[in-house]
Amino acid sequence: MDDSRSPGIVLVSHSAAIAEGLAAMAREVAGDGVSIVPAGGGPDGTLGTDGGRVAGALVEADSGAGVVVLADIGSAILSIRAVLADGMADGVDAVLADAPLVEGAIAAAVTAATGGDLEAVRSAAEEAWDVRKL
Amino acid sequence: MSVSSNGHVRTVRLPDGVDLHARPAGKLVRAAAAYEASVTLNAGERRADAKSILQVLALGATGGSEVVLETSGADASEALDVISGLLASLA
Repeated sequence: MDDSRSPGIVLVSHSAAIAEGLAAMAREVAGDGVSIVPAGGGPDGTLGTDGGRVAGALVEADSGAGVVVLADIGSAILSIRAVLADGMADGVDAVLADAPLVEGAIAAAVTAATGGDLEAVRSAAEEAWDVRKL
Repeated sequence: MSVSSNGHVRTVRLPDGVDLHARPAGKLVRAAAAYEASVTLNAGERRADAKSILQVLALGATGGSEVVLETSGADASEALDVISGLLASLA
């Protein structure tokens, strides 16, 4: 198991504060071995998404093992798909996880920290739908 | 699901003041994931797969309370020793 090649994680939110806060939280749970990169907010600090920022985060998060991308609400998914379709992060093996953002990010981060591959990390994020809080 | 014949069970008291929240829960899950054995943690009426961070966080186990660790499978004995030691020494 080589930690330097664990999958990276990109967190896309319409709010930079949400993406950054969640990245800090996920790092706290998962430890330092996983690359977790926030990509929140629109251009100029507005609420929204920024394709260039998402593409940059994908490249930054990738260490060769691919990147799992999580997003907050629907239109962020559209932005990410546009980034991927336009080849803005060419060479990065990126997969979208269909998961609730906070829980999915925590599950993905810990799974990456335990040596899970790209598909295992995405699955862990998506299993977050099935874990009840109450 | 009952504990199988090669299952191991141990009750562990969490250190005072250390709830099974983000950082300690992450440590537990990362340790449990290193074993082939299944690792289950019980706190009160709740039960969690110790390899699932979200299940462990949902236990709501608080510092000073007792949790019951169950391991089952090939390396269950070692998993029980190491993980119960980790739980008892969380800080």
